[in-house]
Amino acid sequence: MMLRLAKKMREAGILGMNRRNASYIMGWNPRSAFPLVDDKVLTRQVAEKYGVPTPPIFQIIENHGQISGIEAALGDRREFVLKPARGSGGSGIILIVDRRKEGFVSQSGEVYSRDEFAYQVSDILSGIHSLGGQEDRAILQALVHPDPVFAAVTHQGVPDIRIISYRGVPVMGMVRLPTRASDGKANLHRGAIGAGIDISTGQTVTAVHRGEIVSHHPDTGNPVSGIPVPFWDKMLLMAARAMEMTGLGYLGIDLLIDREHGPFLLELNARPGLAIQIANRRGLWQRLEKVDKAPPEVFATPQSRVEWAQKEFKV
Amino acid sequence: MKKPATWLAFSLFIITGLLLFYRIFNLGYPLLPAAPGQTWAISIDLYLETGKEGARVALGLPVEQSGRMVVEEKISAGAQNIDIHRDGPNRIGIWGIPGTQGESLVNFKTTVHVSPGRVDKNERPSPRSEPPPGGREEQDLAEQLVGGWKNLPVPLRIKAIAATTAGKWVDPPPGNPEIQAWAAIRERLGPDLALMLLFHAAGISSRSVSGLLLVNSVVRTPLRWIEVWDGQRWERIRPDSGEFWDPKFNLLPLIYGNRQAIRVVGGELHEVRYVITREPISDWRLYFEQSRRSDRFLDRWSLFRLPEDFQATFRILLLVPIGALMISALRNLIGFPTFGIFMPVLMALSFRNTGLEYGLGIFFGVLFLGYAVRRALDKLRLLLVPRMSVLLTLVISCFTILALVGSKIGLREFMAVGLLPFVILTMVIERFFVLVEEAGAVAGIRTALGSALVSVITYFIINWEPLQLTFFLYPELMVAVTALQILVGQYSGYRLMELFRFRKLVGS
Repeated sequence: MMLRLAKKMREAGILGMNRRNASYIMGWNPRSAFPLVDDKVLTRQVAEKYGVPTPPIFQIIENHGQISGIEAALGDRREFVLKPARGSGGSGIILIVDRRKEGFVSQSGEVYSRDEFAYQVSDILSGIHSLGGQEDRAILQALVHPDPVFAAVTHQGVPDIRIISYRGVPVMGMVRLPTRASDGKANLHRGAIGAGIDISTGQTVTAVHRGEIVSHHPDTGNPVSGIPVPFWDKMLLMAARAMEMTGLGYLGIDLLIDREHGPFLLELNARPGLAIQIANRRGLWQRLEKVDKAPPEVFATPQSRVEWAQKEFKV
Repeated sequence: MKKPATWLAFSLFIITGLLLFYRIFNLGYPLLPAAPGQTWAISIDLYLETGKEGARVALGLPVEQSGRMVVEEKISAGAQNIDIHRDGPNRIGIWGIPGTQGESLVNFKTTVHVSPGRVDKNERPSPRSEPPPGGREEQDLAEQLVGGWKNLPVPLRIKAIAATTAGKWVDPPPGNPEIQAWAAIRERLGPDLALMLLFHAAGISSRSVSGLLLVNSVVRTPLRWIEVWDGQRWERIRPDSGEFWDPKFNLLPLIYGNRQAIRVVGGELHEVRYVITREPISDWRLYFEQSRRSDRFLDRWSLFRLPEDFQATFRILLLVPIGALMISALRNLIGFPTFGIFMPVLMALSFRNTGLEYGLGIFFGVLFLGYAVRRALDKLRLLLVPRMSVLLTLVISCFTILALVGSKIGLREFMAVGLLPFVILTMVIERFFVLVEEAGAVAGIRTALGSALVSVITYFIINWEPLQLTFFLYPELMVAVTALQILVGQYSGYRLMELFRFRKLVGS
């Protein structure tokens, strides 16, 4: 039974963890390029060079002495995001939507006094949220106002879009929609749902929620499929460019769509997860193999790669 | 066979195989070192009356061969001089006993280890077999009797001849007059010689043996049996009934040939006693003795040459790679969640001191207490390194309290708590907390249980004595473990858990 199941999965081209690690991450992602994707400040610097928009950063706090200067740096901005440069899984991120006399108001309504806020920054600097526990930098970044397109299938928070690119070809995409259970975070581990996106049309298909296939948002009850994702072609191009930017052949690209400014590259992931296959009900391996068989001229430019992907990868 | 890693693993297997082959077939190491063997102590007491000139006693002693090892031999204190020499297949001990004019006691003790093993090539019958018993006439008659069975396969021929002892003659039976003539000869020669004569006539090697049946007992006279070579091994036959001794019985030969196991010259034997007792000697001691007496290179470099208190460490250490191999397999073939690779191994090692139940109890107790404290610390917003130090101090405080409680209520297991890997435990608390925060309590508890289960399995592996003994005797097995680790390392198929995770995608 097990062997038959494994055979069926192989035929469906589903990618397992071992093969992802051995053939794709170890095969295409040189260790030396990892710091570039692990540190959001570095990611932004290199993205700028390639004309890929990222949310503006207006302050980088490098040491505890700079904490007292935060208010001055903020000027008269009322809203912003505090995040660790090397954080993972969304930990340590605080969205501030207003500033009052008593302190900073977060998106969930919590009020941070100036002291409490300073502690949060100090935590980030000492590396509490960073991947390896090393010392870190804190970033003050512009707050993104999500495009209303996903409003009907989002519970609080900001939905984000994940595209997997292999050798610069976007092979699979999904949008991660926060739920009540995920506490407004677009994190599948915490209970957010992920809706697959048809690469060729940019429309959402079915979704994955806690490992199961679902068709409706658990909190709002609205269907998650058939939503046209705006700026889809542009986002595919941003994902395709990420290879030239980083030198990584197997990448997860996370994007946000701002109501006014359109898509921003949020962060890159050198070890993207495999749940995206359930969201799309398609195997990744089969698509990666297809990319490997593509004629060499496909890989010439980001445009040619996106064009080829949209022709090949229909749900 | 396309990848270099596969080739490497393959060559490592070959290297291990060659070394094992050399040890087993050239140095006579046991195929299964932990195979159930038995150790028997045999105490031979002789009471004899000596004259003025003194007496000499010749005693048949056990011979070492594969599957049989003489662990220890000693003569009683104040004893007379002894001279042990080989005589063909036999080992004879000769005592000179000074004349005392009275009864004297000779005591000889030997400890023998027997294990079911293969037959050594020097135990095969020699081409120059013993001269046939009986004269020309008897031999001719014997040849006539067995002539009809020439075409039977050897084992059947042996059975047919053995059956004649009980008066049964299988097809084609010899004529009646011959059988009657044979009965007279048998009467004259005795049953064992008569049997050997028939075997000789049928072209089968046989020998008469005097020895002991190894069961807890006191025996006055050694047992006699006939050993017959059936081409593979020596079959043992009771000469009085023609029945076979089942191989499960351990018979210890003392002397081969038509000789007595004890002969006294110049004195009178009053009483003989063989006291046979089973000894609970450990296999470790056995191999220790064996390697200590050997001068071969691999024996001189054997781990058994280490001082005994250091040996204990290596018994365990040699099995740790298997634990690591198993953890890699559980993670990459099954998809079992654990806190890293070293944590379960170190936990398993410490369980040896605390015991499994207490070890697990302490692990979960400290983990959950640590988690509660870690949650509280989170509110204090401490910096990373000082916060970890606080947790470390907490873990050590827990150990201290447990040890004190243990000493009050007399529980050794609690006092052994200090051997738990406190650094690892501290890190587990931190990782458990982060996991619960990021992926939820279910994922955190699943990983904690997974780690505990893997520690328990590892604990049983490293404590399995037959395996310890095997690796201690053949440390080269670690090379084969490395090969397996390499093979697991290049497995790129699905993990068992992924079959469940993605099964909806293939519609089943």
